[in-house]
Amino acid sequence: NMTSSKLSDHVRNDNNTSTSLVDISADVGPSGQNSYQSESLQHPPNTIRGKTWYDVSRDLINDFRHKQMDESTSAYSSIIFYANHLVLLSLFFMISIYKNVNYLYRKMVLKFYTLTYYPNKSPQLIRDDVSKLAKIPRVISCILDLKDDDDENGGIDGLIGSISELAAWTVSAGIPHLVIYEYNGVVVENKGNLAQLNRYISKNLAAYFGTDLIPSYAIRIPHHNTVIYSSHTGKTQVNSAERDVDLEIWLLSREDGKPTIVELTKTMSELAQNNELSVNDITIDLIDEELAELVGPEPDLLISFGPSLDLQDYPPWHIRLSEIYWEPENKDVIYAVFIRALQQFSNCKVNVGK
Amino acid sequence: MVETTSTPFSSFSFKAIVDLVLYFPLFSYLFGFFQDFCIEVMKTGPIPNHVALIMDGNRRYSKAKNLPLKEGHISGAETLLTVLDVCYRLGIDHVTIYAFSIENFNRSQEEVDTLFGLLRDKITQISEHEDSYARFNNVRIRIIGNRTYIPPDILADLERAELVTKDSKHNRTLNVCFPYTSRDDIAISMKNIAEKVQVQEIPSKDEITLQTLKENNYFGADVPELDILIRTSGHTRLSDFMLWQANFNCMIEFVDTLWPDFKFFSITSVILKWSYYKTLQIQQFEAQGIKDDEDRSRKMKKLMELPPPPPIASVSQR
Repeated sequence: NMTSSKLSDHVRNDNNTSTSLVDISADVGPSGQNSYQSESLQHPPNTIRGKTWYDVSRDLINDFRHKQMDESTSAYSSIIFYANHLVLLSLFFMISIYKNVNYLYRKMVLKFYTLTYYPNKSPQLIRDDVSKLAKIPRVISCILDLKDDDDENGGIDGLIGSISELAAWTVSAGIPHLVIYEYNGVVVENKGNLAQLNRYISKNLAAYFGTDLIPSYAIRIPHHNTVIYSSHTGKTQVNSAERDVDLEIWLLSREDGKPTIVELTKTMSELAQNNELSVNDITIDLIDEELAELVGPEPDLLISFGPSLDLQDYPPWHIRLSEIYWEPENKDVIYAVFIRALQQFSNCKVNVGK
Repeated sequence: MVETTSTPFSSFSFKAIVDLVLYFPLFSYLFGFFQDFCIEVMKTGPIPNHVALIMDGNRRYSKAKNLPLKEGHISGAETLLTVLDVCYRLGIDHVTIYAFSIENFNRSQEEVDTLFGLLRDKITQISEHEDSYARFNNVRIRIIGNRTYIPPDILADLERAELVTKDSKHNRTLNVCFPYTSRDDIAISMKNIAEKVQVQEIPSKDEITLQTLKENNYFGADVPELDILIRTSGHTRLSDFMLWQANFNCMIEFVDTLWPDFKFFSITSVILKWSYYKTLQIQQFEAQGIKDDEDRSRKMKKLMELPPPPPIASVSQR
């Protein structure tokens, strides 16, 4: 037995594997694929979807059954209270019918848009659409949702597909920076996902631009301070880690928002304590500079690809002047929403100072 | 998205007819009754704790009506009092308004002076006497923002209003953001925390959390989470207002009406919408809670409850 374990140790050494068992449970996620939905994100009430008017009726009836008054007062005021509550619930019922009708109408409108705005994987068509606009943003940011695996375009594959499409549209439109925000950060979780993303973006760009010379791009992950360059990037600059590319893609997640600001505060406090930084030097400009370095550029246009506006803890410092766009009742990353967002951006008048 | 259009027939609009009818005292009396009824009905449902308002559109309003700019701001101030009254009667305890942005100093000196004067006058008006609105209704007024930008005489008046309304029995608060930008708010929070660490009020940097950052800004610790943020006049931007608070679990509503036109039904319809969704959310959580409990108790015994498998036979000798 001593000889056999020595032999397998040699085999492991030859394969560059460790000779003792390594536990990688922590690195491959909490408890499997389906629990990506982080429990700490709370959604505002108006993001509730999927309730037909009969679901709503059932909920309203339950609500009435469990309703309790705050203070126990006379029988007369109880009756008035419940009567008023019934009026409210009937109002809610009418709202649910209206919402159902509105939902169907919106879905029809979306179908119509998908047919009218169909780029057919052609950069020329996209550039033509964009040329009609007065102005385009320098930095465009998209809030994406990780859908369940069994949904259409679900799971990581669907997410990577969406990001690849967005990259193709952005570079065709001539916009230099694309920021992708996904609350859980599943794409940047491990090198496997990043490799898959890089492959798909290259593949998709080849489908749009032809396989001879696709646009060069860089995928930046500010939280890990890493960058992935596409193959065929141009000549390297003086600083060999920085190169000029046609499209910069930034991948952000929840950690790039408030937690990064907390970390920055901790560092500044430590420096202040050691008298290396004066407290009076903590100004908006300093913080802006640091957060631009740590999190990336401020978006000019922020697109949410969900059915209602839910900022999902997007880095607060960066959205102070961003134009926000979303298409009601839309769940997918479709070109129609992208181009309509650009149209709204080109029509808006920005006066800094209201 | 909805685009704002001004029709040439706006003088015959529904709103103009309503205004005409309400000119007669009987109808306006009945309308007041109807408003009271609406408020009583809505109070039986979920009511938000904290509502914020970006009061945009005074200038466009005055331009559309061919009035001087000052009239637009005065109409805006009247609308503000109506909206505040509705909110407090509904039971919303905290209302925050974006009165003046630090970026607004870019405007003409005349307009800046007008706005400062108007704000000071309105705040003094609602807090001066025993029966003024804020004191009669137990509303605490707080000035939120970077006071170094306020000229001393106006600052003195505002601070007096703050002091006079300080002991509010009902915990109703009006947060007047003046002059305020969210970046300044976050920066001052970080600065305050660094100062506290320096003087050891916070023992070490490891004690700094999200909560610490939330508590050390201009708002302070006793402000509840923001439930609704409303911006009038149709622009879909946050313009450096409450970025920290609005990006998490907050319903952001961009309304096309201009601020002076944002009256009783505009504010109540936004709150009704929130209340509707909140009712559904509460029911969803309750159903989810019951389902989770059932699932948990069922799954725990699932493997053990299966019948024992047949005896195992294997080709390998180990």
